[in-house]
Amino acid sequence: MSKNDQTASFLLRFTQKIYEDEKGNTDLQWRGKITHVQDNDQKNFSELKDVIDFIQGKLSELTMSSMEEDMSPKDKEGILMKSMDIWKKLAKSYPKMVADVIKDPKGQVLQIQEQITSKAEDLSNRLQLESYKPTSKSDIHELSNQISQLTNLVGTLQKKVDKIDRKLGKS
Amino acid sequence: MKSFDETHIEKLLNAKHEALLHVYTLGRFNITLDHQEISDNWGRDKAIQLFQFFVISRNRMALHKEVIIDRLWEEKGTDQHFKVALHEIKKILEPKGSSKTTAKYIQRQGSSYKLNMENIWLDSQVFKSLVELANNVIGQADELAILAYQEAVRLYQGIFLPNRIYEDWTSSERDHLQLLALNAYVSLSELLLQEQANESIRLTEEALNIDPTWEEAYRIQMKAHMANGNRPQAMRCFDKCKQVLDKEFGIEPLPATSLLYKRIKTT
Repeated sequence: MSKNDQTASFLLRFTQKIYEDEKGNTDLQWRGKITHVQDNDQKNFSELKDVIDFIQGKLSELTMSSMEEDMSPKDKEGILMKSMDIWKKLAKSYPKMVADVIKDPKGQVLQIQEQITSKAEDLSNRLQLESYKPTSKSDIHELSNQISQLTNLVGTLQKKVDKIDRKLGKS
Repeated sequence: MKSFDETHIEKLLNAKHEALLHVYTLGRFNITLDHQEISDNWGRDKAIQLFQFFVISRNRMALHKEVIIDRLWEEKGTDQHFKVALHEIKKILEPKGSSKTTAKYIQRQGSSYKLNMENIWLDSQVFKSLVELANNVIGQADELAILAYQEAVRLYQGIFLPNRIYEDWTSSERDHLQLLALNAYVSLSELLLQEQANESIRLTEEALNIDPTWEEAYRIQMKAHMANGNRPQAMRCFDKCKQVLDKEFGIEPLPATSLLYKRIKTT
């Protein structure tokens, strides 16, 4: 079985709507669309619960399709439960993470930036990149460039969030 | 004297005449070399995939062949697979060139590769540039924005690489281009609302064909029907919007849409 048969990829699109209600108060609404790439199945959503259900359904299908036919029903059930367990753990923290981003985007981006910087430093310390023999110099250079690019990208993202923040502050 | 943006748009539109290799990725995948269609000459599908992968990665640093092999061939991939596919691309794109000479279209840097965009005209790249240009000048130079959007939507013949919708390495680019297309259709329809209401309606229909929940398109379409003096059609348009939003999201239209409907109703 190839890696593709064992992979589920999801594309999430969020669209924000900032609007004034009838009383003139500014409000915000999120609309989204999730796509399961491998079968191009799509679902629109306005609540994260629908996203979780959609992903859970696709992951269960994937686990079911990967199980061998001669496996006993008990074994099949066991594997399916394990598959669901992993997703349940992620699903518990994921909505909180998204809700935190929506409530405090700047704080979350800063946190991500700190995490990346810390991971990059950690990685660099542990690998001692410059003296890492089995990899070529050009690869090390490329890796360092990519880490630096990633850090820059997060910086740009933060500027954008700042801009949105200022706009929200004005309205 | 022409402005910087006018010169830029002219350059974008003329670039096609200067490049020998034309790559079409929107709504189809097609390549012409010196006006000759070459898409039928491809042997293996992997060679096409490799070329398309280069197209998607064109703005990144050159990609190491191992990254490419892992993405396209997964764990079964070998150097040989990559070499064969690359050789096939070179054979098709540079039939007269030796494989040892510097490649005109695929650049090699050590074990990393990327497309040389200097010699290639790519529809999705020009489409992106036109939408970006139009977005930058809208409000200051609307005629130029209209021209850029019109050229952009002319290029958008459909989703990016439609024959690869099940490949996850194509998803992000497809979604990005689709959002730009929605943006172009809606912005252009708004710019043409008063002068060309029918064209405005057609453009909003195009946007709604891409995404039937795109509420802004319904609002502009309602206004365009009113500009045509067709109040019943404007009201039907709101009803459709309400139904779609309820079915897909379980939500009501935004206050701006409901308010517009109320105004139309009492006109």
